[in-house]
Amino acid sequence: MELQGKVALVTGGTRGIGRAIAEAFVAEGASVVINGRSPEKGAQALKEMNAGDKVHFLSGDVKSREGCEALVKGTIERYGRIDILVNNAGGATGHAPVVDLEDWAMQDALVWNFWSTFWCTQYALRDMLPRQWGRIINISSVEGKHGKPGVSIYVTAKHAINGFTKSCAQEIGTQGVTINCICPGAIETDIMKDEGPAAAQAMGLTYQGLLDWFASEAAIKRLNTVEEVAVVATLLASEAGGGMTGTMYSVDGGTAAY
Amino acid sequence: MGKLDGKVAAITGGTRSIGRGMAEAFLREGAKVVVNGRDAAKGEQALKEMGGGPNIAFFPGDARVQSTADGIVDFTIEKFGKLDIMCLNSGGVQNTAPVHMMTNEEWQLEMDWNLNSVFWGMRKALNHMIPRQTGRIIVTSSVEGKLGKPGIPGYAATKHAVLGLMKAAAKEVGTLGITVNAILPGLIETDIVRETGPESAKMMGVETYEGLLEMFAQESSIKRLNTVEEVAAAAVMLASDAASGITGTSWAVDGGTLPY
Repeated sequence: MELQGKVALVTGGTRGIGRAIAEAFVAEGASVVINGRSPEKGAQALKEMNAGDKVHFLSGDVKSREGCEALVKGTIERYGRIDILVNNAGGATGHAPVVDLEDWAMQDALVWNFWSTFWCTQYALRDMLPRQWGRIINISSVEGKHGKPGVSIYVTAKHAINGFTKSCAQEIGTQGVTINCICPGAIETDIMKDEGPAAAQAMGLTYQGLLDWFASEAAIKRLNTVEEVAVVATLLASEAGGGMTGTMYSVDGGTAAY
Repeated sequence: MGKLDGKVAAITGGTRSIGRGMAEAFLREGAKVVVNGRDAAKGEQALKEMGGGPNIAFFPGDARVQSTADGIVDFTIEKFGKLDIMCLNSGGVQNTAPVHMMTNEEWQLEMDWNLNSVFWGMRKALNHMIPRQTGRIIVTSSVEGKLGKPGIPGYAATKHAVLGLMKAAAKEVGTLGITVNAILPGLIETDIVRETGPESAKMMGVETYEGLLEMFAQESSIKRLNTVEEVAAAAVMLASDAASGITGTSWAVDGGTLPY
């Protein structure tokens, strides 16, 4: 039990990557708050996870400072503190080539992915730093290292998270708090199924063509899985993760060479 | 239930330090482990300290010669029936010098110890793993696999080189159920660093051994050295079944030293 007694908040944790991380954390002994915008999906997730008082759902949207503050505060109210923050919520809509891109799409992607990470991190640090222990895990993407055409809003936001992570790691490195990124390859989660077709269209592809493109770039010639991301999140959240910080860990089947 | 139940691992240079940390972690997670080292007495001592028993064995030999790399694979398969996890960990710095003072002999020693041993062991292990369509190869590189400090050109060059080897191999076997990754530890005060560090410090232009340790610590975000346990935890993760989608990566365990 590598996370016995720890308290974690996973934003966007009802489905997909966040859900897998929440399940892995519970399996390692942590108490976990999962979050999502839809109370129905939250109730469904709690039922499926069947973890009793080890898991708690907070509905809320990470697209505002107040929303992020409420999640961190709600976690502390429920379980007394926050040891592990997983900034997982994110996505993008309004994809278009840069020449045609509308302001709202870029702004929304930055708020959803990057500002939410900044806000939640700031509130979590205010609880972690005085206690000199914490783990912050930001779900970036292989597109936080590379860049594909037509999806610059997503690529830009994920790159921003990486830069933020590196700076923050240097600030807090001696205080028992680590901050890292996981950069997953494409995973066919619910959100990918929801948003993938529009992204594919902006890239001039079919949805299947988009998935095939990601797979073909990987050494394993397949997409990744949520379990592969969760095992890395567990490592980074563990006591042994104390010596790993400021790093962009690829879980991409050998796509990014760095 | 361990994360490596039923797996068989071989670790070059596994009697002490990082390799030893990996061996102990693998054993705890249910694997059978073969460790290797030059000194048979140290090998026996290591087995004893790790509790002995049927799940651990020692293969003597110098990693700087091909017969050791080949031999540990053959020995492991003979002893435990297969090889699932190959940790190419042996390596170090010895008799180092700045480039303009380095002799061919010193250069060759670094090449054999840190690069050729990895190639030989990887080739031999892959020949066993490819027909079985399963395997994990974990190379111990270093933070110096991406950076480069004065006075240790052979070490920096070979630790960079193994990353190229790792990336190419990862692509070759990516669809065959085999992953190939490297771990890049920051400096850890292991036995071998205590033995060779004072001389390296001199060649790096640092006054004292403590100055060398301090230089590495200061470059990190955590302002301390790393530990073998931190490296071992990353190795367990990469060796596990759940890591089948993680390959070709340069896995930093350096307290936030590398910026990329």
